[in-house]
Amino acid sequence: MLIILKYVARLLKALSSEAKPWQIALGFVFGMIIGLTPLFSFHNLAILLLIIVIKVNVGIVIFSFLIFSGIAYLADPAFHNFGTWLLEKESYQSLWINMYNNEWWAMTRFYNTVVIGSFLSAIILSVPAFPLVIIFVNQYRKHIHERVQKWKLVKALKGTKLYSVYQTVSRVRG
Amino acid sequence: MRVKGLIFVVIIAALAVGASLFVTDELVEEQIEKQLSIANGALVEIDDLAFNPTNLHLSWSRLQVTNPGNTMQNTFETGEAEFDVQFWPLLWEKVIVDDLKLNGFALQTERETDGYFEMPEDEEREEQKSNEPGFFADVTSSVSSTIAENANMQFTDVKDDINIDSLMAMVNLQSLDKMDSLKTGLETTYSEWDSTITNNSIITNTNDIKELVNGLKLEEIDDVPKALAAIETIKKVTAEADSLKNEVIHIKDNFQADLNASRNGLASIDGWIRDDINSAANVAKLPEINAQSIGTALFGESLLADLNTYLGYIATAREYGARLLPEKEDEEKIERYEGRNYEFTDKYDLPGLWIKSIDLSGVTNNDIALAGLVTNVSNDQAKTGEPTRFNLGGEDENAVSLTMDGELNYLGEEKFERVKVTYEGFSLAKSKISPSELLPYELSRGTGELSFALDVIDRRIDSEVSYLASDIEFDFASAGRPRNTVESLIRNAISSTDRIDASALIDNTQGPLRVRVRSNVDDLFLNTLKSTVQAEVDAAKKQIEDEVQSRINEKRVEVESFVDEQEQRLRAEYDRFEAIINDELQIVQKKYDELEAKKKELEESLKKDALDAVRKRIGF
Repeated sequence: MLIILKYVARLLKALSSEAKPWQIALGFVFGMIIGLTPLFSFHNLAILLLIIVIKVNVGIVIFSFLIFSGIAYLADPAFHNFGTWLLEKESYQSLWINMYNNEWWAMTRFYNTVVIGSFLSAIILSVPAFPLVIIFVNQYRKHIHERVQKWKLVKALKGTKLYSVYQTVSRVRG
Repeated sequence: MRVKGLIFVVIIAALAVGASLFVTDELVEEQIEKQLSIANGALVEIDDLAFNPTNLHLSWSRLQVTNPGNTMQNTFETGEAEFDVQFWPLLWEKVIVDDLKLNGFALQTERETDGYFEMPEDEEREEQKSNEPGFFADVTSSVSSTIAENANMQFTDVKDDINIDSLMAMVNLQSLDKMDSLKTGLETTYSEWDSTITNNSIITNTNDIKELVNGLKLEEIDDVPKALAAIETIKKVTAEADSLKNEVIHIKDNFQADLNASRNGLASIDGWIRDDINSAANVAKLPEINAQSIGTALFGESLLADLNTYLGYIATAREYGARLLPEKEDEEKIERYEGRNYEFTDKYDLPGLWIKSIDLSGVTNNDIALAGLVTNVSNDQAKTGEPTRFNLGGEDENAVSLTMDGELNYLGEEKFERVKVTYEGFSLAKSKISPSELLPYELSRGTGELSFALDVIDRRIDSEVSYLASDIEFDFASAGRPRNTVESLIRNAISSTDRIDASALIDNTQGPLRVRVRSNVDDLFLNTLKSTVQAEVDAAKKQIEDEVQSRINEKRVEVESFVDEQEQRLRAEYDRFEAIINDELQIVQKKYDELEAKKKELEESLKKDALDAVRKRIGF
């Protein structure tokens, strides 16, 4: 329960932080890709480097990763079927063969049904997710944030010792 | 851009590279030693392993592979070695080495410490279901027993006045037990037949049929419908009787087969007695005087021991091959979050381990500088498409040479190994050419050549070990004066021989394993022994045979008369049984014929009456 509260607090803080909406949206998309696809994949290493280098919101990345990891568990058979369909599609065969024969591409393990299925699903979902999150953040800050601050739950949350510790840590971290 | 993040990544990368430079050697050495020890079943030690992760170059100063059967000995060891591991296959957990240079290679070296390795519990795997080691063990055991059998023979010191009582005390006459066991088995069989003949329903059914037939009284049948009904009844009875007859025939066939088996059992008695006589003759060290036994006694021990050594190597190769084979994956079952890998080309379809070429050099126990190539050592030849081949050779400072070449081919359905070894030019001076008492003389000069060719296809062996001693001269002087006439005659016979050519052929390509050892001097010995000790051997054998026969005869007579008596009794029983059935069948048939005749008679009478009635009506 504490963990959930912690992440709700982190989400609310991220939404109301000074981070730009695109930073939050990109963090959300990155977390979604990592969450939906097998964790120890070459493309996730690249995304991790991007997260470290680009100024995206890490809290949102973690939040998004946790949410989509759960979804991925449920959607695994669908990813496998999608991946199988892609890898068996006649018109893509030369592409897959070329990629497979290139060691760098082969390292991505896109020849695996779940990796390619989940990765492409995540990419496809990213296209609407990115602008939608930006819109959501803007709308939240403009219309919802004030009201949320007045929620009893939020007030209670702010009153907890955990929240004050969290605030202190956040300040120290910058 | 998050500058701090970038710096963090750079620092982490630098730390990883730095740590790998310090840590990898020990880490890699420890891991390789552990994995190889698990595969070997005994300790594998690597000294001074150096691993360069930037170019994947590996080297060591010494490698010792402990013999799992004797942990104070190494199966082999190498001195300095170096090689490069291919980078990309490593990412797919495949170790591919193009060229491995191995110096200081040596077989069967002594270890300074015990090479026992305690297998980790989670690594202990079920024994491979491979029958090869068992098969090779059977062959070597069979060859060893041939060696032992012939090594036991005394050709020159045969006594015809054997102390038969003390000899028989040492012999366990197995035919007595076997005959007892045969009799017990036959008693059970005969008792089963007793029970079959007395407790079956055939007699009861026959009696029922009899009653039914007797119930059909011809005098009571006075019209055609009654006759037809009686005929229907008799037809059913006939069918039942036929079925009973078939049952009797079936019983008779089984009965006859069992009696034949009993007779076959009796026929084995002669073989058992022959085995006992041979066993007694063996204990008495009485030789079979023929070219084969002389050849085996003269050269079998050394030639066949060599064969066993090489068979041991082949067995080891097959055993290692079986251990290194990758575990078969269950392709149908797809684990959650695992998915299925599509292999679009065979680019990564590589074995887990593949050393394409080993440039090997070392010194043998006989100080021969050996060098050569071993190619395509892998744990899955189906993936390399290449068998393992080796070609090694070398010589010492006295021009004594050794060449070894061969192929371990596991590509097809049947495993195939071919090994050819030639060791030639070694001096025979001051050595004995045979461990047999027939040739106890050292040579004052001579040169030897030993060649060995072995083909093993799955469980079929075809091999030849040849030994050639040329330019030889026996040193009779240092052996002293001949002890007896046989020795004297042997010396005369072989004194002019300057070349001995012996070969051992071992194969099971046409049935059971055959071991044949022949040499060019067999006939010399054969003639000498036939003219001297043959009579004593025959007399001693006759004495043993008579004694064995006399001890066994009583039991043999007992078993044979038991079989005769029981067979006679059972046959009589069966004949009586068959006669009853046949009698009944005859009665049934007779009744059937009578009924048919009665029916005809009634029909005729009916026809006649009808005709008379018509005639009367029309007034004709």
